[in-house]
Amino acid sequence: MENIGYVSNHFEPNGQEGPIRCIFFCEFHPTAGPIISCQEPEQYISKELFDSVSVYIITKAELQRSTITVTLSDYKILGFPVRIDDKKYPRNAYHFNLCLVCDSNVRTVHYEPVVTKLSDYLMAMEIESNFLSSGKASTKLAPILKQVIEELNTKGECALTEGPTATHLKVVHIRSDPSPVADHQVPVFIKELPNQQWDLTTQQVTPYIDGFNHVARIAALSDVENNLVKACMQNLVYYGVVALVPLFQYGNVYCTTPHLKLLAHDINLQSRCLKYVAASQRQLPNFRDVFRMFAAMTRGTTIRDLCLRFNPSNLRVNERKLVQFGVLEGLIRRVHKYPILLSESSELQKSLSGAANLDEICCATCVTTQQLEDQLERDHNVVLLWK
Amino acid sequence: MEVNPLSIILVKSDSKGDRLLFRYPFHFQENNEPANTKRRNPYTLPNLEDLLQSPSQPTSNINKGHLTGFTDEVLSSLFAVKPELCNKKFELKVNDVRFVGHPTLLQLRNKQQDASGLMLINVVFALQALASHSVVTCYHDLSKRMGIALRYEEKRCGYVTEQTQTMTTAHDDGYASNSEAAFQTILKKCTLASNIKKMYEDLCSTGLVNIQINKWITLSFCLPQKVHQWHLRGKIVEPKDIDRCLKALRPYHSLLLLYPVQQMGDFTGLDGSPSLERMLKQYSPIKNLQTLAADADLTLNHVFELTAHLVYWAKATVIFPICLTNKYVISPDAPIHLNSPLLDKFSETFPASNLIRAVSDFALPTSLGQKCNPLCHPSQQSHLVKTIIWMLQHHLLLQLHTYIQYIPTDRGLVVARDRDDRNHMSSQRSVVLSSSYQPSASEHSRAESESGTSTVSETPELRSESDLLSRSINLENVSFTSIEEEKQDYQEELLLDFPDEERGNIFKIPATNTPEDLRLFARLCRKGYFHGDHHIEEIMYLENLRRSQLLQLLDKFRDVLITYETEDPAIAMFSYT
Repeated sequence: MENIGYVSNHFEPNGQEGPIRCIFFCEFHPTAGPIISCQEPEQYISKELFDSVSVYIITKAELQRSTITVTLSDYKILGFPVRIDDKKYPRNAYHFNLCLVCDSNVRTVHYEPVVTKLSDYLMAMEIESNFLSSGKASTKLAPILKQVIEELNTKGECALTEGPTATHLKVVHIRSDPSPVADHQVPVFIKELPNQQWDLTTQQVTPYIDGFNHVARIAALSDVENNLVKACMQNLVYYGVVALVPLFQYGNVYCTTPHLKLLAHDINLQSRCLKYVAASQRQLPNFRDVFRMFAAMTRGTTIRDLCLRFNPSNLRVNERKLVQFGVLEGLIRRVHKYPILLSESSELQKSLSGAANLDEICCATCVTTQQLEDQLERDHNVVLLWK
Repeated sequence: MEVNPLSIILVKSDSKGDRLLFRYPFHFQENNEPANTKRRNPYTLPNLEDLLQSPSQPTSNINKGHLTGFTDEVLSSLFAVKPELCNKKFELKVNDVRFVGHPTLLQLRNKQQDASGLMLINVVFALQALASHSVVTCYHDLSKRMGIALRYEEKRCGYVTEQTQTMTTAHDDGYASNSEAAFQTILKKCTLASNIKKMYEDLCSTGLVNIQINKWITLSFCLPQKVHQWHLRGKIVEPKDIDRCLKALRPYHSLLLLYPVQQMGDFTGLDGSPSLERMLKQYSPIKNLQTLAADADLTLNHVFELTAHLVYWAKATVIFPICLTNKYVISPDAPIHLNSPLLDKFSETFPASNLIRAVSDFALPTSLGQKCNPLCHPSQQSHLVKTIIWMLQHHLLLQLHTYIQYIPTDRGLVVARDRDDRNHMSSQRSVVLSSSYQPSASEHSRAESESGTSTVSETPELRSESDLLSRSINLENVSFTSIEEEKQDYQEELLLDFPDEERGNIFKIPATNTPEDLRLFARLCRKGYFHGDHHIEEIMYLENLRRSQLLQLLDKFRDVLITYETEDPAIAMFSYT
């Protein structure tokens, strides 16, 4: 769970993923100035090109140890300039930078930790054994760079065992922050829980995720503190293991979204849908019936009404699963009710201000939806907004 | 807000070297707290892993929304690019700051025409690295425009020489120790500096930049990601969303201005397009674009372009024209609660009305026709229309359309793939045919369906239909043929291209006994109206049908045609995605 909040603030939305095209090592030569001393593949970055951007690669002192990305019309060069101060060097300091080159339209943020770590590794080797400055850099470094570029592009990770210490590089993909989890939301597994050593909270909580228990209920059942359960859910959402859907009740109202038309055209989605919503796997429901049930979901029609109209068990449809599939795939959307109190009553206005929906209020006050709705219906000053 | 600039920096480089001339904001940042002191919980146990791995905190160059950690010298050396990178997009990311600019080379007016008379000017925007690719592109565009304007002004009257001279003097004038004072002086003396200040403020407040460079060149710029988000709270409208909406424009849509027409005068300005003014004179949210074009005596294409312009600049939005049959519901992210400023705004416009009551009428899908009964006073009705317009302008309402999906068998479409191919082919054909009178490629998709209908109806289907008509007339004349045979005959012919299984299911419907119904059904089905891409109103418009005709057909064929209500994804994007 320590991974929550790790998403660094260097996140860069849109932009595709792309492989590393080239990796090169450059240093500040005491007489020749900035030069590329080792490159994999060779001659990828030309001398002219390098000279035009060398100011961003061998930088001024203030920019040492910063991740610097310069975007050119064809390439994106990502580097991490490092300087080692020591009397033994000709200019009392040794500058180097290990750079990755990608296509100019791909994102490179997820390579930043790799570049930093690799630079630190080289720096450690330099300090210990003059690995870089001894002049034989190209012969010793070239195989390392070759290994790094090949393994990172194919496996996304790489283990370097050169020298006395080993280092492991891994490309970690950055995803957006998961939104906070509310008490009344229901977690659903969207893929199998990866088989690994999860933390104690997750181990205790996951058996209760069945697609129908909401967060507060899971907390009660698993005897885990509510906020811990929420943090755990947020973590699982981040890794794409779990998705959150609204609580299922027969009084709920859903409406169709423009995505519903995908269901009619995407054969793959259809077969997944039929398998998911089937009451029993032995006999799958009719696609037309399933589509008709989705299409009948409008504002003002509760699931209870739908069940009375269609009798889902006759159609071999499990209505809970039907709703769950629709919400997960974005074919339908929950329509929430927001009560607003119009009369002057400061106490009630706080909760009935229109900012919270019925689910939230019910969950916070431990009242059933039926009771609350009956009570609100009797009060003529309360307006229910469906949205 | 990740779309706001952190800072705007002006750098020059010439034969005398590079220099940072001006940056805004320049207020000195008191950096008391050492960097990266995150408050740690005193009760946490030191994690053993942390000690071994010591994950270095990523360094940040942003402090409370301002750029920090760079001296002016470093910035100027970074932005005074090598000649190879001039007149190109410049993008540099350092830690969590992204710099974007367009270094522009310009020939100084009173210098000789060689390398020594060239000056590099770079207006650089410092953005948060989070800023999306499209935001960066927009800022690059702004920097490029600044560069072009400055190059022109230098050529015309040596403006850049004069301004840079003043700025350099201010820096040299003994203020070297205190750059803030120098920047103050520059801001007072130089119009270019005050332009940059105005630009920064505009970008941070509204996203609409309107400055006069050297009181001569108007530079207007719109940052769509900023302009369109005032009502959306955090959701960002990307330029490609707007493009998608504009590609979906149809002649039956209508324009809804977000501001009163009187206020649009500021926007059109002195040198605004005269056709825009002409269109605004005829504007009404009840007219569709086709009528608007006719009334303003403009071509439909030009009205589309003007609409696109107004939508891009967040002056207008696109709706389906307000009519009695429109069904509205509350938009899912409508910010309606007791503390919403919209409540007061609504009561100001409509005294004695309450927004919450007005909105709550649309809790269930409600059409205008349902709300006005015949006994209703005309003034009440106009009041209702006005409130609906107000709510649409504030993105509180969403219109629902009915879409139709053809599902002939229990398993869905029999050969969905085949059908897709066929549709694809027919749409390609319509594109080819329509391109003859469509001026630009970008409008293809818009033209596709309108032209598609006309082309499709001229293709063999029509012939077969007319054949069939004459045939059936003949059949009527021949009295010997039994009715049953006759039915078989035209049915087979009409649905010849349908797969057997589908045909079998369709014939189970009693309405297939009426030739007109079946013919209409077959025609609409062939044209692909029943694939959930067209709503009822669009089919009515394209096929020149009455609503009652279409609704009757849908009812008769309800076994294979399933309807559902949802918003039009193309034009609803400003309120909800």
